[in-house]
Amino acid sequence: MGVLDFFKRAAAPVSRRLGPVSRRFGSHKPEKADLFGDDFQKKLETLAIVSRRVFAGRQRAERRTKKKGSGIEFADHRDYTAGDDFRSVDWNIYQRFGRLLVRLYEEEEDLSIYFIVDCSTSMGFGDGKKFDQARRLAAALAYVGLANLDRVTIVAATDEIVSRMPTTRGKGRIFKVFDFLRRIHCDGQTGLGDSLKTFVAQHKRRGLAVLISDLYDPAGFEAGINVLRYNKFEPYVLHIVDPAEAHPTLKGDVRIYDCETGEEREVTVTAKVLERMERAWNEYKDDIERFCTKNQVPYFAADVGIPFDELVLGVFRRGGFLR
Amino acid sequence: MLFAGLPFATLVTIAAVAGGLTTVFYILKLRRRPVAVPFSRIWERILRDKEATSWWSRLKRLLSLLLQLALLSLLILALGDPRLAGSLVQGRNVVVLVDASASMKARDVDPTRIDRAKAEVKKLVRGLGGTDRMLIARMDAAIMPLSTMTGEMSDLDVAVDQLHATDTRADVKRGLRFALDSLRGLSKPEIVLVSDGAVGDPKVLSENLDFEGVEVRYVPVGKSGKNVAVTGFSVRRYPLDKARYEVMLEVTNTNEEPVDVELTLIGDGQIVDVSRLSLQGNERLPRFYKDLAGASRTLEAKIKLATGESDDLSADDHAFALMPERRRARVLVVTPGNTYLEATLLLDEYLDVTSVSPAKYPPAGNFDVTIFDGVAPPVAPNTGGSLYLNPPDEGGPVKHAKAITEFGFDVWDKKHPIVRWMSMGDIQVAKGFSFKPEKEDKVIGASEAGPILVAGRRSGRKFVALGFDPRDSDFVLRVAWPLFVLNTINDFIEEDTSYVSSYFTGEVWNIPAPSGAEVATLKAPDGKTHQIPIKEGRAVYLGDQAGFYELTVKTEPEATTSMFAANLSNIDESRIKPSETLELGGKPAALPSGFDPGMRREIWLYLLLAAVIVSTIEWFTYHKRVTV
Repeated sequence: MGVLDFFKRAAAPVSRRLGPVSRRFGSHKPEKADLFGDDFQKKLETLAIVSRRVFAGRQRAERRTKKKGSGIEFADHRDYTAGDDFRSVDWNIYQRFGRLLVRLYEEEEDLSIYFIVDCSTSMGFGDGKKFDQARRLAAALAYVGLANLDRVTIVAATDEIVSRMPTTRGKGRIFKVFDFLRRIHCDGQTGLGDSLKTFVAQHKRRGLAVLISDLYDPAGFEAGINVLRYNKFEPYVLHIVDPAEAHPTLKGDVRIYDCETGEEREVTVTAKVLERMERAWNEYKDDIERFCTKNQVPYFAADVGIPFDELVLGVFRRGGFLR
Repeated sequence: MLFAGLPFATLVTIAAVAGGLTTVFYILKLRRRPVAVPFSRIWERILRDKEATSWWSRLKRLLSLLLQLALLSLLILALGDPRLAGSLVQGRNVVVLVDASASMKARDVDPTRIDRAKAEVKKLVRGLGGTDRMLIARMDAAIMPLSTMTGEMSDLDVAVDQLHATDTRADVKRGLRFALDSLRGLSKPEIVLVSDGAVGDPKVLSENLDFEGVEVRYVPVGKSGKNVAVTGFSVRRYPLDKARYEVMLEVTNTNEEPVDVELTLIGDGQIVDVSRLSLQGNERLPRFYKDLAGASRTLEAKIKLATGESDDLSADDHAFALMPERRRARVLVVTPGNTYLEATLLLDEYLDVTSVSPAKYPPAGNFDVTIFDGVAPPVAPNTGGSLYLNPPDEGGPVKHAKAITEFGFDVWDKKHPIVRWMSMGDIQVAKGFSFKPEKEDKVIGASEAGPILVAGRRSGRKFVALGFDPRDSDFVLRVAWPLFVLNTINDFIEEDTSYVSSYFTGEVWNIPAPSGAEVATLKAPDGKTHQIPIKEGRAVYLGDQAGFYELTVKTEPEATTSMFAANLSNIDESRIKPSETLELGGKPAALPSGFDPGMRREIWLYLLLAAVIVSTIEWFTYHKRVTV
């Protein structure tokens, strides 16, 4: 290699020198240790039992929806309008306050739960802890859903729907879920806006859409969530976070590049830069939470350092998944 | 402006190449280490601010380049050693003579005068101008230049570090002569004498020295002079009783005030005598200690103030002497019978005397000395040195010239060790003969009729021949007789009656050594060894330490080791009261001037300093990320 070659090579973008991004980081290979081993399955059963305390079991469908209808469980009042069924007028209220209010009841039905697992390269960044955590959480919550006789569907998404597990119900089908989650791997760019448009087009039956992702979407994390919102799905954001990404172990002059897009930037990393990096990472996380709160989208930050069962219990406590 | 270092053209070439390289390296970007991140948009948030000020970033990088080019320029200019045109014309040439005599060991200034002198010389070195040159010389009994005439501070600093005081006097005259010789023909000559002023008579110092055109400066060192010294110390054995000895000692009080001192004599490491002496101001007190015994080899004298305090100079508080080594000599007397001779030989208990009749000569055994009394048989190999008393013409070492009567010693070699300190003129001889000595023989004594006492060598052996029978004279009745016999024996066994009990430091010593060797190893009192030459049976050395020395000469079959002592014993050095002024060349020497630290006229030094400052700024701005 001549001197000129050396300089040309030095000046060339990193992505060109190192080859396709996906070849370097994208493929998070399924690990040898089984993600869903005996220990995992035992914990699942415990979680299922805990979830039962939240609601009473029913044969038809055991999850209540926000949909108001003909159920027997009182939900709310609203003002009477012409055309309403007189039988539903709350006459006791009328007697006490002189207002005509109609009783609303929760309609009970079998709910569709969709788990949208982000399979982009960034989920497998580093040692793939985020992707493992995402799959464990998906499996655990899917088991709770299956145990409650909900209709569970799992899709793997990048900037498109990479793979889909057909809708299923009954906890006996959990092994099908495991198989599906074992097969998927991280490869591709995040593009939740586009991929979820495909998703909503493919799934006419609305329901709970649990988005499990690190939300590192170059197009903006809002796009994917908004697609779900605008199409009458109930989005639930499980934000997979790895705090180590807020403290990169970098120093000096480096050329950073995005593991998905290959975008490059030259940076001189100093203590001050690292400080600002941490601040920016936390701001990004706060932006997501703020957006979700503002739009009444349940949000839960799942730290990769916390065991999945604790996180699932946290999800239960946080509400929104089980009602 | 002139360039005393690299030529201007070379500087321009170096500047062009180095500046070009610096700029090229500045333009070329270093290959940065690629690092993957999960989401570069977060980094973009951080870098947004930087992008907003990219013009400032470029400016800062340009500032970095400018700093580097400035650094380079300063270094290249420093290489050129720029000088102001005027400063190249004249520079001082200075010879610094540092008194390193014993008095400079005085501790009246902290820690010692020589250390203070070194500090003063360092100040002078720091104050040298860019074109000034200096030579530093140590001045004790000899003059030792420690550097060349140079303007290099590092060389001069090394020279200053080598300065140390010795136990000798200062030969200032020789030092001044050396300085004048060194400065001859040089511009702005200057002599700086760093001394305590204990240098003797200034008039004598300046005699025959021409200080015309030479600036003479004087840096006084020291502030007081409380000192009592041993200024004389010698010892000798009694010739007729070598087990006993006498000591001559002189203690001098150099102060104005009276002082009491405690004197301790130490023989072979054991205290022999302790006495208390009272000395008036400036008194020199000689003391003789007679008929001492108890030491066989070394003798030391130590004084200390009776108050228990120590004076300012300890180098002259301790004196050393060595007594001649005693050897048991084997003496063979070949005589038909001689009472006077036998009685004489009984005087020295260190003699093993064997008497045989001439018929039984030679007996078995080896002898150091053989005395032939009236006979001269063929000399056997085991004979040693031979003393012939009244030898016959046939077989004797010296032929007879003629028989003589009624004579005496009209002339004799009063310095010869055999007859030194002896009165030979009174001896009356009834009959005898004069000798006809050979060319190499030494006539020690003679009458008007011819030589009657001759010394020389035959077949490598020493002999002494006396031309009459002592019993035919009143010689045997005189004190000179036993002295003559014993001196002769001592001369044969090389026990020198003119033994020097100690040498003086600062003088060239001629130490007796086996004549066969050419080099001897001398072990000084500080433990260091020196190889010194031997010339004509004398090891030659200029000693500068007081104490006991050990001289080893490699001889066959085994090495010969002898000891000797050396003392300062110099009253001038013991008078340590410093002199604030010094008159040289008929006028008082002034204090040095023009040696101002920090006023070096070398521009390259300041350029280098500026380069260091620029480098520091660059380092600071780099690490503070100002120029990154």
